[in-house]
Amino acid sequence: MKVKIHQWNGVASWLWVANDENCGICRMPFNGCCPDCKVPGDDCPLVWGQCSHCFHMHCILKWLNSQQVQQQCPMCRQEWKFKE
Amino acid sequence: MSLKPRVVDFDETWNKLLTTIKAVVMLDYVERATWNDRFSDIYALCVAYPEPLGERLYTETKVFLENHVRQLYKKVLESEEKVLVMYNRYWDEYSKGADYMDCLYRYLNTQFIKKNKLTEADLQYGYGGVDMNEPLMEIGEVLTNLITLISEPLQAVLIRMLLLEIKNDRCGENLNQKVIHGVINSFVHVEQYKKKFPLKFYQEIFEGPFLTKTGEYYKQEASNLLQESNCSQYMQKVLARLQEEGMRCRKYLHPSSYAKVIHECQQRMVADHLQFLHGECQNIIRQERREDMAIMYTLLRAVSNGLPHMIQELQVHIHNEGIRGTSNLSLENMPTLFVESVLEVHSKFVQLINTVLNRDQHFMSALDKALTSVVNFREPKSICKTPELLARYCDNLLKKSAKGMTENEVEDKLTSFITVFKYIDDKDIFQKFYARMLAKRLIQGLSLSMDSEEAMINKLKQACGYEFTSKLHRMYTDMSVSADLNNKFNNFIKTQETVVDLGISFQIYVLQAGAWPLTHAPSSPFAIPQELEKSVQMFELFYNQHFSGRKLTWLHYLCTGEVKMNYLSKPYVAMVTTYQMAVLLAFNNSQIVSYKELQDSTQMNEKELQKTIKSLLDVKMLNHELQKEEIEAESTFSLNMGFTSKRTKFKITTSMQKDTPQVINQSKARFNPSISMIKKCIEVLIDKQYIERSQTSADEYSYVA
Repeated sequence: MKVKIHQWNGVASWLWVANDENCGICRMPFNGCCPDCKVPGDDCPLVWGQCSHCFHMHCILKWLNSQQVQQQCPMCRQEWKFKE
Repeated sequence: MSLKPRVVDFDETWNKLLTTIKAVVMLDYVERATWNDRFSDIYALCVAYPEPLGERLYTETKVFLENHVRQLYKKVLESEEKVLVMYNRYWDEYSKGADYMDCLYRYLNTQFIKKNKLTEADLQYGYGGVDMNEPLMEIGEVLTNLITLISEPLQAVLIRMLLLEIKNDRCGENLNQKVIHGVINSFVHVEQYKKKFPLKFYQEIFEGPFLTKTGEYYKQEASNLLQESNCSQYMQKVLARLQEEGMRCRKYLHPSSYAKVIHECQQRMVADHLQFLHGECQNIIRQERREDMAIMYTLLRAVSNGLPHMIQELQVHIHNEGIRGTSNLSLENMPTLFVESVLEVHSKFVQLINTVLNRDQHFMSALDKALTSVVNFREPKSICKTPELLARYCDNLLKKSAKGMTENEVEDKLTSFITVFKYIDDKDIFQKFYARMLAKRLIQGLSLSMDSEEAMINKLKQACGYEFTSKLHRMYTDMSVSADLNNKFNNFIKTQETVVDLGISFQIYVLQAGAWPLTHAPSSPFAIPQELEKSVQMFELFYNQHFSGRKLTWLHYLCTGEVKMNYLSKPYVAMVTTYQMAVLLAFNNSQIVSYKELQDSTQMNEKELQKTIKSLLDVKMLNHELQKEEIEAESTFSLNMGFTSKRTKFKITTSMQKDTPQVINQSKARFNPSISMIKKCIEVLIDKQYIERSQTSADEYSYVA
């Protein structure tokens, strides 16, 4: 081999991919952050429910805490369970 | 002696008493025994049987004192020229005598006067001003009498003489300092027993006229001084006069008058000539005559509307100095020269304000205003270059460089840099440039040290707050997050069921899309070389297992690598972009590779591919088979087997060009662009990050890969 790769430094960027553009609770883009946070990214993560709906973690927690009887997904009214 | 009340013959006792009190008020010698006897006599009179004789004693004493004072008045009046001296002597004697009298009459004071004490209501409507707590009525009355009987008729003469004496004193012929002080003091003491306005007499009879005279004197003095001196001399003399007058006040006057007198002097010598002083202000400040500045500050500070003009002048001066220091900088080293020049002006004037201008906050804020205008200065109709300049200054410091500064030196420079930074208006623009340069330093591993990077981000955070630096901080932490990911990835590979050999040393930065000022849309399609595919696949597998809901995008235009060239005389290692890597790898399979083949293997678009090939031609790693300058579709290339370099490890930079003249030549065929237009276009390209200014030369630009 005339030319051999010795080392390679890759650079990649990451984005959230959800089935929607915006969070169904705060209506902010998933790649932004929830209204309580200042920076998007690891500090304001997304979570998925078993119903496959996705929200900012902070938004859905706030919603779940405000529900007194049953904890339901605000989109489809199924019982909310975090997807593993 | 019995204390029991008894019958007393008033006249007999009074006659005895009279001789003694005559001696007492004249301060003649009185024997102790006599003194004691008279003390007892007064007691006896006050408690006399069948009727106490206190009231009669009081009246008689008063009559005596009145007569005595009238005599004194006559004596003073006869002394003509020496009225002041005589008045002072008698006053001195009399006031001391009165104190003794007060002692002698203590029993009367405490018993008789107390019983006849005036009610609150009487006090309100003012009979004398007798109160338990005040010096006793006796003395109060006596002193008032003295004044009403002597001072009032003599008032005009006394005051005239006094003012004359003080004027002489001002002219340096101070002969009778004690007398002046004594006389003035008598005016103060006369009514000191009064509860309300104890200084009223002093103020009315003396202070008022004195202030008027003082004003007149200094008005004249000021106009005399103005005729014989220039501004600097005038200010010095005024300052001296003010100090002298301050001393004089303390020598003669009651403390309540000090400020009034000085104020009067300032009005006449400073406030009245404000225009003249302000007129000279400009020269003094422009020539930075420190002594004059200090004096002028002292004088102007004391009068209203004095300082603002001076503050304004200084601001203008600092502005001019700053502009002078920051314009026409050599393009070579502009960021450093700019920052150092601003810092120099800053520290010079901070020092000036601290030493000469009493650390006055008004001047400090003038300094800030002036430097803000310097830092944000821009030529008409052009954008302000400073934010970029300052970002470049930081970049130069934080980059690994040959300058050989230690981390501490860099730290110090960055700390003082914050001083300049605070003056920029467009901090957001600075942030944009800073973020871009930071991104480049981090991704290309150009940082001097990560500690310095973090320290600088924290400094900016301190100056501008959390939000300003949140993205920068995110970028910084992405570096350590990535290091962590690399470790996990290496473990991941080792723990696979079948052994995975990537074939290369692989490392990756995973950046959070929103935080980095990067274009995520690639400038060209790109097919990664086969040799890298495994690394990419494995990492994507690893990443998706670790994180759900995240999409990874490879930024090939930022990827770099090292290739080893085994076909040359020495085992050279070249640091290349991934694009360059892809082109070089194509020669592993054949000696000669055509443009078309390269296009097929890399999938790159024309623009990127041409640029990449050109960079390899420029460093003579590739040969153009047709020996032509232009790269065309039919061009073919081969490796330069005779390539040599001074270093065994080197970097292949993307092509540099002298742009402006070249642009003119190239576009002449189509149209003739004006230089200003080209410059504008270059600026746009720089803004869009297609090209950047070369670090080494002012009129060269390099493409940003």
